[in-house]
This record gives sequence, C-alpha cells and structure tokens, in this order.
Amino acid sequence: MAVSGRLVLLALLGALPIVLFPGALPALIWAGLLAAGVAVDLLLAASPRRVGVRRALPATVRLGEGCVGALLLSNDTGRTLRAAVRDLWQPSAGAANPEQRLRVAAGRVHRMEVSLLPARRGVLTTGSVTLRSYGPLGLAARQLTLPAPAELRVLPPFLSKRHLPSKLRRLRELDGRAAVQIRGAGTEFDSLRDYVRGDDVRSIDWRASARRRDTVVRTWRPERDRRVVIVLDTSRTSAARIADEPRLDTGIEAALLLAVLAQHGGDKVDFLAFDRRLRARVDSGAKANLLNALVRAMAPLEPELIEADFSRIPAQIRSVSPHRSLVVLLTSLDSGAVEEGLLPVLPGLTAQHLVVIASVRDPRLEELRAVRGTAADAYRAAAAERALLDREAVTARLKQLGAEVVDEHPLELPPRLADTYIRLKAAGRL
Amino acid sequence: MSRHAAPRRAAAQPPSDLPAALTAAGPTPADTSAAPAAAARGITGDGGSVAATGRRRLRRALPGLLLAFVIAAVVVLGLLTRTDDDTTPLSPGNATPTGSRAVAEVLGDQGVEVVHARTLAEAEAARARLPGAALFFSDPNGWLNEEQLSSLNRSFPSRVLAAPSEPQLLVLAPEILPAGPAEDGRGAVRAGCNEEEARTAGEITGGGQLYSAPVECFSSPAADGGTGASYAAVEGTVVLGNPEILMNGTIEAAGNASLALSTLGAGESLIWYQPSTADLAGATGTPANPLELLPDWVNTLMLWLLGCALLAMLWRGRRLGPLAVEPLPVVVSAAETAEGRARLYQGSRAVRHAAANLRAATLSRAAVRLRLPPSSARAAVVQAVASKTGRRREDVHSLLDGPPPSTEKDLARWAQQLLDLEKEINNS
Repeated sequence: MAVSGRLVLLALLGALPIVLFPGALPALIWAGLLAAGVAVDLLLAASPRRVGVRRALPATVRLGEGCVGALLLSNDTGRTLRAAVRDLWQPSAGAANPEQRLRVAAGRVHRMEVSLLPARRGVLTTGSVTLRSYGPLGLAARQLTLPAPAELRVLPPFLSKRHLPSKLRRLRELDGRAAVQIRGAGTEFDSLRDYVRGDDVRSIDWRASARRRDTVVRTWRPERDRRVVIVLDTSRTSAARIADEPRLDTGIEAALLLAVLAQHGGDKVDFLAFDRRLRARVDSGAKANLLNALVRAMAPLEPELIEADFSRIPAQIRSVSPHRSLVVLLTSLDSGAVEEGLLPVLPGLTAQHLVVIASVRDPRLEELRAVRGTAADAYRAAAAERALLDREAVTARLKQLGAEVVDEHPLELPPRLADTYIRLKAAGRL
Repeated sequence: MSRHAAPRRAAAQPPSDLPAALTAAGPTPADTSAAPAAAARGITGDGGSVAATGRRRLRRALPGLLLAFVIAAVVVLGLLTRTDDDTTPLSPGNATPTGSRAVAEVLGDQGVEVVHARTLAEAEAARARLPGAALFFSDPNGWLNEEQLSSLNRSFPSRVLAAPSEPQLLVLAPEILPAGPAEDGRGAVRAGCNEEEARTAGEITGGGQLYSAPVECFSSPAADGGTGASYAAVEGTVVLGNPEILMNGTIEAAGNASLALSTLGAGESLIWYQPSTADLAGATGTPANPLELLPDWVNTLMLWLLGCALLAMLWRGRRLGPLAVEPLPVVVSAAETAEGRARLYQGSRAVRHAAANLRAATLSRAAVRLRLPPSSARAAVVQAVASKTGRRREDVHSLLDGPPPSTEKDLARWAQQLLDLEKEINNS
C-alpha cells in the first residue's frame, strides 16, 4: 500500500474546517472521510497481482548505443489500471525513464518502453518490476514488486574498427607485394601477372612466358590458414585503469582488431580469456560469425582479483592448437607479475610458437617523468623513471627469450598490434 | 586453384562491406528470441497474496512494534507517576531531603488529618470541610498579596508559619517582628524558655530566620549582631524561623521532630497550605500561562498537522520498489604504484636513490638516441653526449657521472638540468 500526494493535500485542506469550526468533531469527520476515500481506493484499485508482465529485450547491445527495453503489461483485471510502474535496472544501464505513470484499460496490453543507454560493458541486470496501482480517487494505491529478472549483454564497443580499413588495405597490398620480396618456404603460389620493372627476375615463370608473348612473373601470397591464438589475461593486473579505461578493455579492443584482421588474412583465430582458469573461449570453428562470437564471449569478462597462473597457459594453447601458431598474449608488463609468472614458461612457448606479448603502457608515467619543478615532483619523476626502467628491463628479457613485445599507449595498442601481425605475416614468420 | 578461390574473394572484398560485417555484432531481431525463457512466458503476481504480504510485514515489523509499545508504556508510566513526584520544598508529598513527607506521615499516624492545599480556594474549601483545622503556611516566594493574607487571617485562628516574611507577619501576626537571618554555623540551639513544646524538644537545629516576639524560644545570635528566636509565638500563631526542622533530611536531628510534631499536631486536622502561581493568577487577573491566550482550535490543528506530517512521510517515504544494486568495478589507477613509490622516496628522503633512478633513465635513453649499445660504459655515453650537444665534457660528466645531489632542493634543480640535457640531445 502507498498513499499519494493528493491524500496529503486533502489532509492539509482539513485544517480549514478545524479552524472554522473549533472542536474535535470536524477533525474526526474529515479524518473519517479521508479514511473512507483510502478504503474505497484500495478496494477498487486494479489488483497488481493480476497484471501480467512480459519483457521484450534485445539480448545484446553495443556499448555506446542505446536500445529499448520494453515491458508488456497486460491488464487481466476487470478494472482500469492506473499505475506507476518502475523497472529496476541497475544504474549503469542508463535507463532514461524507468518510472512511468500509465493507464491501461481492462483487458488491454500496454507496451512500456524504457530507453537504455548502457554506460558499462558487461552483463547488466534488472531484478524486478514494481507496480503501484492507484484507485479511482487517486488517494491510495496497492503496490507490488514482481520478480522479473532479465539481463542485457553489453558488448564491447570495438572502437578500434576504424583502423580496420587501412590495415586491411595493407594486408591486401601484401598479397601483391609478396612475390617481389619474399621467396620463402612459407609462401604459396598465388597467380601469374605481367612483369613490371623492379620485379625479382628469379620469379619470372619462363614456361608461362613462353606460352604468352610477354614476360610473366609468378606472384606469391603470404601464407594462409595459419593459426592465431589470442590469450587475454583477466587477472588482477587487468583491472588497472590506464587513461580511464581498464587494461582489460584495451586488451579487448586490440584482440578484436587483430582477430578480424587475421580472419581477413585467411588465418584461423582462437581466443582465450584466462587468469587461473578459462574465462572465455572462442574457437576458430566460428568462421563466418567470428566477430559476433568474440564480442559475445568478451562481453561478460571482468577483471578477476587473483594472480594469473601462466604455468597453465601452454596446456591451454596446446588444447586449442597443437601446431605452431602465433600466440598473442595480452597482458601487462608490470615487473613483479611478469618475472614470477610469465618468464619461466616463456621459453617453452617460444620454442613451439611465435609469441607476441602486447601490453598497455601508461601515458601517465611519461607525464610524471617530465615534471621536475619541486622536490616532490622530482621524487615522482624518479619513481616513474624507475617504473619505466623496470618495464624496459622486462621487455628486454622477453625479447631475449624470443618473444615479440608490443608496448603502447591505450589508443595506440590495437593498431600497433595489427601492424606487428602484418609485419610477421609479410616476413613469413607465422 | 579453386581451393584458394573462396578465401581470396573474401580478402578482395571492398572495404565498404565492413559495416555490414560489424553490425552483425549489434542487436538483430533474432536476438530478441534469445531473451531468458522466463521473461518470454510473462509473469503475473509474485506468488503471494494480500494476507500473506500482511502477515509477512507484520512479522517483520513485530520487533519494531514491540519496541515502540515498550517505549510508549514507559512514557505513559512516567507521566502517570510524575504527579506523585513532588519536588516542592516542605511539601507533605515530597519524599526528598527538602520535603516534609516524614512529618506529614507521622502526623497522619497520630490521627491528625493533613490536607495539602496549593491555592487559597483549596485551603478555604478544606477549612469549610474541617472546621477547627489548624493552618500550616509556607510562602517563601511571597505570592499572596495583602488582601489574600487578610482573608487567610480571618479564616484560620490557629496557624503555624514557616519563616514568614515581614509583609506576611504584618497581616498574620503584627506582634512578631523579624530579626534578620541567623548567624551561620551555630549548630544546635537550646530552648531556653518556658513554652512546653520548646522545653520538650530541648534543642533544635539552628539557622533560618530569627524573630522577636512576646514569647521567644531557641534564641541565637543574628547575622547582623543582635539576637532573635527561632520559635516565636503569640496567641494562636506560632512562627518557626527555621523550616529545616520540618524537612525529611534534618527532622531526626536534635529535638526537631519533637518540636515539629507538637507544634503541628496540636489540633485534629491540619491544612498544609503552600501558595502556588495559581494564587498569583487569581490576584492579578492575568493568565499565568501564555498558551492560554491561543484560540481553542490550536491544539486540534497541531495534532492534525502532526497527522498530516505522518501522512506526508508515508507518501514520500514509500519507495517504488527496492533499491537497484550496481556491482561496482574495481578502480585501480595503474600509476598508483609509481605514486606510492614516490611517497616512499619522499618519506625516507631517498635523494640519492631518486637521483640514481633519474640518471639511469637519462643514460639509457641517451644511449638509445645516440645509437650506442645498451651495455656501453658511462664514459662512452658522456663522450658521445658532449660531442652531440657541444657542451663541455666536464659539465656533461658532472651531470651524468659526477656526484649526485644530496639535498632535496638540489635534487629538483639537478633533475631539471637532466631533462634539459635530454631535450638538447633529442633536438640537436
């Protein structure tokens, strides 16, 4: 039960007869009238227990895009439903109008639309729907909270897709350019084309040239059907915010760009999210719908506040791809975590696979480094320098062990990682 | 050839097809069907009923209700017992050390009916009911005016006055004159007269007011140097200068009790009259309580508005459903460890350590910039920097390889110099 502002207003109006006709009687009469009004409202209000609630909700929405979460309210009572309805979305769902006043005639269905603009990636939930059904006088209402849980999967925004056209163009250039530059065992015959000045004379296909009048060269294209395994670290280090974005989200952006690129490059992409156990996995089987499968798998990922167990990663990779692959580890280069976790298992990995370690570099450290006005600033600069030196040392160790390292600012990481992939592909190292 | 044809076409697709591929990740009509099955079926009611909800609410509210009931009971009990809680000094209902309940009770046990009157009207009504009753009169605040005192004088031929003031004496016993307050710290006072009550008592507690009269007992020196009596009597009137002899706390000392009981217990009944503000009101004709000036409906209106306030609380306080819960993510700034380390440096004044860090970083970047191997000696880097920037070798050496600063002030300046040198290396 709930009372309305109208009742309070009427009660305040009751002060008038009390002043005009002194004594307890007018007060009692007025109170009686109000009580009768409330009773009538409670008796005649449409029962919220007989209102059906159905949800029409998109299962997924991309972060930054709005959607409509609709509630279908069917009034199964014989009375008009005058109600205030609230859909209990969590605040980060960005519901613009979760509370609405509406009027549904007996036996009709009303579609209540709640505009949502999610502010966070992940699985957003709504727990219940609250109905407050007012009586005909609008003085009092019956209130009921219906358990109507639903969830909305907010997919990563994939902002780095703006880099995709340029990277794809480079990938396609690679197709044509490969013949002049690469003649390795890993390249495959692609097609024949007319010789142009500058082409490697060794690639001239004499037999084909004999058939035609012109000189014809064989072109080679980069290897295909190689395997790319992207491993996203979801351990505690991925919770750190760099430029107001968790490392995990930057990693997701980079992984998405790389996956789409590699798919267009004809490679098989597998994705693993891992800390101590497997958090998400997308197999290369999902060919046509790789991007869709990836964003769905990535949406619910959250940084786990535990230490990553890198010793299990080789087994995980082996279970995905038993052959030589490009293993991209999206993790952090914080000195402690890497030295204890990643360094011991890296030699085993690099022996079998080509390993790229991608990490987000914090631009804040470089800002701190450059400010040296006061003693406090100098200490801060020294601490930042220490962190950067440690990072460099770790990077050097990783490179020594045969891994490629991409260490970039948050916005730069996805395109740089893509560049690294293209470079490795062009070099036939996959 | 055909084996490779399909992927190749895919790779050769123009970039314009990208959005189509990407929006596949967005909401599509097919997604709606993937919503949880429970939501698709629809939900009606919460499985409960009005009665069940009422019972549940009641059960949940029971401790609160019980607590409220206990509090209300305590308040009501307090209000009810408060009427007995008399704190007026000398009041026959007051059981504190300044009250006179002991005397009144003993008088009652001895068969003397004690009637407590708080207004003149009450006193006179009691007098009408109990003809021949004696009067005990105590008005330290002087609330009765002359007219009321004369009325009292007419009504009660026999009376005991507790420390009366001069105006009261003028009306009630003109023969008795005040002799000022007694000298402090005199202890017990001897009777020293032939009055029977006084002789029986022997000694009483000294202090209070002193009087001079035809019959004087318990004389003691006054504060102004003269003497006076604590007990003065004329025909029909006894004056007790020290009301303390009637009080619960001091009644047992010396012969206080004897004197009190013999003076007050002379008749069959006693009207114990202590004027109150009500007498004052009757005398001046103005209401003592300014609230009585307000119109009649104010109390009702106040109660009504209180009710309205409660309603308004119900109106605003009832939430439309439970609170929404947001699982908050962990927020850790990545640079936090660096900031923390900076504070540690600062806290322990690790100037040399900080300087070593700054120098090592500059050296390593300079080595990269000047294309020297990372393992090259400092001297080599210093040499290369000097030749690159055109600075004197000694200056560069003191900055990059000399003694580091030892104070914080020097550290800031030195760190800035390092930064300047680095900029020079990068720009030249």
